[in-house]
Amino acid sequence: MQPGIGHRVVVWLGVALLLLWSLGPIYWNLVSSITPSADFSARPIHFFPEHFTLHHYLRLAGVDVGSLGETQVWAQFRAALWNSVLTSLASTVVCVAMSALGGYAFTRLNFPGRQTLFIAVVATLAIPGYAVLIPLYRLMISLHQVDTVTGVTAIYVSAYLPLSLWLLRSVFEQLPISLEEAAQLDGAGKLYIFFRIVLPLVGPGLTAASILTFLGAWGQYLVPLVFSPSATKPLTVLIPEFATKNFIDYGLITAAGSIAIIIPALVVVFLNRYLVSGLLAGSIK
Amino acid sequence: MTALAVPEVETEHRIAGSGDAVLGYCMIAPLIVTMAALVFFPLAATVWDSLHRVNPMQPGTPFVGIANYVNMFSDGDLGRAWANTFIYVLIAVSIETAFGVLAAALINHVRIGRKWLLAAVVLPWALPAVVNAVIWLWIYQPGAGLLNGILVAFGLPFDNHVWFNDRASALIAVAVVHIWRMMPLTVVIALAAMQSIPGHLYEAARIDGATRSQMFFKITLPLIRGAVAVAMTNATVTAFNLFDEAWVLASSSLETRPILVQIYMETFQNLRFSYGMAMSLTVTVVSLLVSLVYVVRVYNTTRYE
Repeated sequence: MQPGIGHRVVVWLGVALLLLWSLGPIYWNLVSSITPSADFSARPIHFFPEHFTLHHYLRLAGVDVGSLGETQVWAQFRAALWNSVLTSLASTVVCVAMSALGGYAFTRLNFPGRQTLFIAVVATLAIPGYAVLIPLYRLMISLHQVDTVTGVTAIYVSAYLPLSLWLLRSVFEQLPISLEEAAQLDGAGKLYIFFRIVLPLVGPGLTAASILTFLGAWGQYLVPLVFSPSATKPLTVLIPEFATKNFIDYGLITAAGSIAIIIPALVVVFLNRYLVSGLLAGSIK
Repeated sequence: MTALAVPEVETEHRIAGSGDAVLGYCMIAPLIVTMAALVFFPLAATVWDSLHRVNPMQPGTPFVGIANYVNMFSDGDLGRAWANTFIYVLIAVSIETAFGVLAAALINHVRIGRKWLLAAVVLPWALPAVVNAVIWLWIYQPGAGLLNGILVAFGLPFDNHVWFNDRASALIAVAVVHIWRMMPLTVVIALAAMQSIPGHLYEAARIDGATRSQMFFKITLPLIRGAVAVAMTNATVTAFNLFDEAWVLASSSLETRPILVQIYMETFQNLRFSYGMAMSLTVTVVSLLVSLVYVVRVYNTTRYE
């Protein structure tokens, strides 16, 4: 097929527009984070930075403390970064472990209520988180788990379990059963088969489930806004707080935002294949 | 340990054994306990409490029947929030679907670097919604923002234009941020469907002298209809669930406040817990019913072909 020159121009123009739309705002955020605040209101606008500074990042790191009260920024930022990493990692590990165990049992083991329980868990995919948020809040208050890592991690786990289970069960179902039967004939127990034979084969599935859970937890806002108001505050709750009613500190916001997008960006660049496969499996509910 | 008395027939479909039930329950126990405690129980509590008056500032939780639901009809702010939400859903679903399918067709055409193009397109989806919102807050900024800067560079009178001053542009501004985050999902779903269309269909159409646009409308679109319905369902539910972008960009502003912000404020600022629960259930049901419309329509149109 010989594509005409006109057709090729349209395609490349479309690609350019698509890239501008997708990456333009991210580019602008990165550029602003290394632009001195004094240059922000320059008109005509500079699409490429005129002066370079690390001032905003140094303020986040508590090195270059500008005005009064900024000593707080580093302490807050460090705590928020740590909270985001900790709760996202913990909920990913717990969620994927639970759904791998459960998913295998739902696929290969026979027990009464198997189908019903599976459907009950997966059906909650259709239920938005806020439908359970208020009773959860009362539950967490009565258990003294508000503003704790355990409390918010448990909520993330419950939020991403159905998707992870759905994804992993479909992965287990695609495995040829002959391998497991052969192992069983050789006298291997069910758990041995699961851990030593099945799990090493479903790496891509586990990766996809981990990515979706991690990115979901990393980006959560409404849940930590309610459940992590101070001590366990993550980045997503801290960053908008740099914008107060009177003054919006765009230097800090764009620098902190750039740091918050590093991990998701790395995932997209290096693990996009798994991310896309997970998105597809998750959307066809 | 359980392999001793397995009949040959049963191994046909699963490696069953007598210890299956115990082991099976042990393996699903962590998952089921978590879901029961943090999803099933709270969901039941939401339904139950929405029929009571639950307010930490008032003693007792008397049964009030459907009063919480009836009150919604005379709540002016809530009506406004519903209107805003429906506008968001309308804008987001139509733009995401139209441009998402178009973008997928474009990516499907690209041979070199398609992997990287797809990664660039997926990126906004992967970022925290809050970060997306602050990135755009900065772009919309009246005095020093990128949007006004570009418009001024083109000689247009947009110095210090405040995009959140009138309702129409504010709603569109919030919707754009949501679309920026959610359109990648439509692209991914539509692209996967396009890649599963057998190439010989296009080959045959080309021999018959079909143009590119004919191929797109007569082959591609009909064959990805099911996937588009799935994408639209996802787009609808996420647009009904819009919270982060609206809260970060315009906080409690009545002009842009979607239903979820209304629920958040009634619940955690006014502490009307049971009213918030009644609203949450209503949004859940409405968003599912609206998405059901696409599923049924696609089912009906594919059935008699």
